[in-house]
Amino acid sequence: MSKAGDKFDQARRNFLRGIGLGTAAAVAQPAWGGQTFQDALADFFQKDYRRMSKEEIDEALGRIERRVKAQYDVDIDCQNTPPQENVVYGYAINISRCIGCRYCVHACVKENNLGRDSQVQYIRVLELDQGNFNLEQSDHYYDPEKVPVEGKHYLPVQCMQCDDPPCVKACPVEATWMEPDGIVVVDYDWCIGCRYCMAACPYWARHFNWTTPELPAKEINTNCHYLGNRPRPRGVVEKCHFCIHRVRKGQQPACMEACPTGARIFGNLLDPDSEIRYVLANKQVFRLKEDLGTEPKFWYFSD
Amino acid sequence: MTMRTAIGLVGTGLLAAFSALVAYAQDSSEPGGNLRFEGYPGAPEIQVVSRIDELFFYPCDECHATMEPNPDIRELDTFHDSEIDHGKGRIWCHSCHQLEDPNNLITLLDEPVGIDDAHIVCGGCHANREKDWYFGAHGKRLVNWQGERTVYNCTHCHNPHSPAIEPRAPKPAPPVRAGLEREPGAEHEHTPIWESHEVDDEP
Ligand code: HEC
Ligand code: HEC
Ligand code: HEC
Ligand code: HEC
Repeated sequence: MSKAGDKFDQARRNFLRGIGLGTAAAVAQPAWGGQTFQDALADFFQKDYRRMSKEEIDEALGRIERRVKAQYDVDIDCQNTPPQENVVYGYAINISRCIGCRYCVHACVKENNLGRDSQVQYIRVLELDQGNFNLEQSDHYYDPEKVPVEGKHYLPVQCMQCDDPPCVKACPVEATWMEPDGIVVVDYDWCIGCRYCMAACPYWARHFNWTTPELPAKEINTNCHYLGNRPRPRGVVEKCHFCIHRVRKGQQPACMEACPTGARIFGNLLDPDSEIRYVLANKQVFRLKEDLGTEPKFWYFSD
Repeated sequence: MTMRTAIGLVGTGLLAAFSALVAYAQDSSEPGGNLRFEGYPGAPEIQVVSRIDELFFYPCDECHATMEPNPDIRELDTFHDSEIDHGKGRIWCHSCHQLEDPNNLITLLDEPVGIDDAHIVCGGCHANREKDWYFGAHGKRLVNWQGERTVYNCTHCHNPHSPAIEPRAPKPAPPVRAGLEREPGAEHEHTPIWESHEVDDEP
């Protein structure tokens, strides 16, 4: 852990001891790099995202920016872009176009400030034998010289942004919920890291940070969102959020932008003229584990 | 109703259905000119990224202006490759390039179109993909998911002379979770539970 992080933890511990909450100090400390004592104090009393007033959120954003500055010496712009009106996002992947090149995976790692060393990657590209859709028999560590390999097909899996998300129901502290534009988000400051949501997710889409993410300061993406890609601590659960910091401003998710074959189609499910609606109306689409009734907003098709 | 009017009615019916599917417009500058494909009704407006700057040989008439057009199927020994890995030997240069003016492409209706309208040429033989492309289910949209649509032309991804997508090297595989190791060759097949737990059948 960084020096600054130690200082922060120390400050917080001293404070807790001071007001006689010694036992609370035994609770796992998030490994944020802290800055001032006031910030540490305010962080400690920070409310759940959905209960904060606009001013409180703005202050929290400021604290996040200062925290990153202290930890990495990088100025990020942490925003809280609201959902757009009359927009619910949906995603579709054309599996006959996907060649398994993992460009999406690596674009996602960069875009979302994922630890470079850790096992956390939001997108998992599964390799299956042609015609086989038994996910248990898939391999996501494949590493041939060239893809696609004859006789194989590829299936990228990430958070499906279920419309009836079991992970949300499983969370004991309501640190995860569905936003009005259909994106299931996590308040990393409210998450206690119990990982119930991971057990509830049928798609293996949620990931736990066992170690403090290794982030090269030079490569930090400074365009951040509170509910999205801001640098996160160890000990919380995170997952794909459809690049909330990009899509709410009209940009494509990073994985779609990176896809060289155009296999990824993203858009507004409420707009009848969108590409995604054309796909849903004109292609044979399916979803993974549809029988579970989680209503993923993530489809697959082939043509 | 006579046979002829019946056929006529069916005919107009078909024609109407057909023109409802694809909107053709008469080229007004040339009386009696060719029917020209004007896109699918309801298809969104698109901007197609130009390919001209990517081309090495363009403008073609720098050489071809002084040459006799030669429609013969033959081995080309200067500048161009005559190997076309497209359509299994059924198509030749002039299925797509205008014989008289190679700056242009040519549609199946013998209509010259610019290099940047290549999708119209491809669409002549690959109508399904072309329709999907117009509606955004094939090909690639750039920049945004809403508002103005900018897309790549077919030729950005498919080399027209050898259109199958080339295999490429994948990006690195994900790391194995800290503290664990990959079992070599163990990617698939688990032993079924009833085989790994031997049950003693003898009473
Ligand atoms: C550097 C000069 C040069 C340029 C530029 C050039 N060509 Fe050619 N092209 C030739 C020559 C020379 C031949 C005859 C080759 C032979 O007969 O072996 C030829 C032959 C052809 C042919 C075979 C039919 C015919 O008329 O002989 C086609 C089709 C063709 N070129 C298309 C094009 C297109 C399309 C472009 C522009 C994108 C282009 N060329 C640009 C030199 C050129
Ligand atoms: C299936 C249609 C098709 C056929 C068949 C075809 N071409 Fe092309 N050709 C194109 C298109 C479309 C382009 C524009 C490519 C682009 O945008 O990258 C092109 C580009 C070219 C260029 C310019 C390439 C460059 O990089 O500057 C040359 C030269 C050319 N063709 C020659 C030929 C010759 C010679 C033949 C026959 C041996 C032929 N083409 C057959 C469709 C075709
Ligand atoms: C004159 C008709 C014709 C035109 C024009 C044409 N094609 Fe083709 N194309 C074919 C035929 C025939 C095949 C082979 C189909 C088969 O083998 O079953 C083919 C095959 C293909 C394939 C599949 C290749 C593979 O091996 O997987 C692609 C991709 C393709 N064409 C793209 C294009 C593009 C892009 C254009 C426009 C630049 C174009 N075609 C223009 C006739 C055409
Ligand atoms: C963003 C890249 C991209 C663009 C743009 C694109 N394609 Fe493709 N196309 C692919 C990929 C990837 C495949 C699947 C790989 C393969 O079969 O070789 C494919 C497959 C095809 C095939 C093979 C048949 C099939 O469906 O598998 C045809 C034909 C084809 N495309 C035609 C077109 C035409 C026509 C256009 C333009 C109107 C176009 N493509 C634009 C990427 C593209």
